[in-house]
Amino acid sequence: MGFASRTRGYALGVGATASLLMIAPGVSLAATGARETPTVLLTQGDTPTPAGAPPSSTTPKAGPPAPKNLEPLAPDESTGVLGKKVVGPDGKDLGLVVDVIVATDGHPSAAVIDFGGFLGVGSRKIAVDWRLLRFAPGRPDWQVLLTLGRAEIQAAPEYKPDAATREMVGPPWEAPPSTAVHE
Amino acid sequence: MSPGRGLDWLNLFVGNIQTGFGPFIAVYLTTRGWTQTSIGLALSLGTITAMISQIPAGALVDAISNKTSVVLFSILAFSISALLFAVQPVPLAVYVAEVIHSFSSCTLGPAIAAISLTIAGPAMLGLRFGRNARFASIGNGIGAALMGACGYYVSERAVFFLTAALTLPALVPLLPLARLDYGGVPAGTHDNSPTRREFPGRLLRDRALLTFAVCVMLFTLGNAAMLPLVGNALTKTVGGEANLVIAACIVLPQLVVAVISPSIGRLAEDKGRRLVLLLGFCTLPIRGLLFAVVTDPILVVLIQVLDGIAAACLGVLVPLVTSDIAGRSGHFNLSLGFIGFAMGIGATLSTSLTGWVGDRYGHPIAFASLAAIGLAATMLVWGAMPETRTTRRLPAQKR
Repeated sequence: MGFASRTRGYALGVGATASLLMIAPGVSLAATGARETPTVLLTQGDTPTPAGAPPSSTTPKAGPPAPKNLEPLAPDESTGVLGKKVVGPDGKDLGLVVDVIVATDGHPSAAVIDFGGFLGVGSRKIAVDWRLLRFAPGRPDWQVLLTLGRAEIQAAPEYKPDAATREMVGPPWEAPPSTAVHE
Repeated sequence: MSPGRGLDWLNLFVGNIQTGFGPFIAVYLTTRGWTQTSIGLALSLGTITAMISQIPAGALVDAISNKTSVVLFSILAFSISALLFAVQPVPLAVYVAEVIHSFSSCTLGPAIAAISLTIAGPAMLGLRFGRNARFASIGNGIGAALMGACGYYVSERAVFFLTAALTLPALVPLLPLARLDYGGVPAGTHDNSPTRREFPGRLLRDRALLTFAVCVMLFTLGNAAMLPLVGNALTKTVGGEANLVIAACIVLPQLVVAVISPSIGRLAEDKGRRLVLLLGFCTLPIRGLLFAVVTDPILVVLIQVLDGIAAACLGVLVPLVTSDIAGRSGHFNLSLGFIGFAMGIGATLSTSLTGWVGDRYGHPIAFASLAAIGLAATMLVWGAMPETRTTRRLPAQKR
């Protein structure tokens, strides 16, 4: 039921990531290659996005005067995605979201998902197109739905942040989802 | 409970607890929103702490005459470390927990080895280290099963509460060990005569100890990255059932260690250390070459029996050979720390080297390189490592 309203879920997901990028400079590191320790992110604990709190309260760069253009980040409509569980269409656990890749326009282009392995052996990261993910924040234990078959996941190349060529699994050829939200 | 039984249980529980500090940390911190960079930083902090504290921690254990109290405080430090992870994984707590755990691991291992020296005496020492390896391996297996189930059915965080809880039963086997008489000698000597301590620098220049350190460093260099590389290769060849095959690749060697370790200890006492060392070392080049050409998952799992043989040999021989060389010098734990340091260097280099070769030239070449290093290690044992068994020449009345 949480994933029923797909377009809505997707829009929320973008909002969630936008908020994440604001409070966590580390998220964009993979894309920019900058070497900076994202300590701000680490203090978030269970509630990555403080409920209703203005981003300025967690952004050290914000000066003393509070910005006037504050907008609410409703906890039931947006949240961080790092470390969230990813499930397949069959509801089975696939792995964890470990990074978000953003394009130059600031929009997320891909999510990096770590497929656990056994006791840390055989763990493998792949990058998937952001549009293949469905989000339903608001529930305490919400998960990210990855609309990708097992065969496609297994065939995907391993994602290595430092590699010269990096690839992600794109949307299926026959039915590319609408990209309207990106405009 | 006799001291020997107590030591069995101690090894089992410590194996149990140590599992909790393994791969679960990365998963747990990931679910708490930590980035891969920060997790890597925290884990590196632990690795670096372990590296630099091996030798000082060994010297510290040498200086404390009551080894049981060293074990007690090390285990209590594990409890604190696990609780720090579980209660509030903010960066400072995690860093402190990593440092505490890494340092206590460096005092715990040597202290258990020193207690073994006291309990077993020189003639039975191989057998004693064999039992230690058996029970530690069983403990590891039980720990992995318990904590894996806990992480899957409860939460990643619960794993660390479970780890903290498991430190409590680990204190029970210390009761029979607390009454042990360490002979008033402030070292893990298995000779009760209060020999004067040698200057540690002379011991660390001892040719046999240095040769052994280089041998085990080379072995670890060839061995440490082998299983991760197998896992990596399996995810590509097997696909969906990869985790099942990887699980078998981890569990089978554990079973082998649990079954054969006491026999390996007996063999080292009967036929000498060199033979058992060669047996353990020669499995590495064979295993590397087999992995380079074999991709069938069932065969891959079977090859892992060799890993179990090597792990049993090394697990028994590392403390045994070190005690042969340094057991009566008053610097047994320092020497053990030195060997641990050498193995740590090998393990660290192994991962980076294999990653680099694997990315550039593919899995078969990476396996072949590890096999070549293993062959070099075996040749070094063959050509340079002296037989260190001394028990035949020791008078029996020392028991």
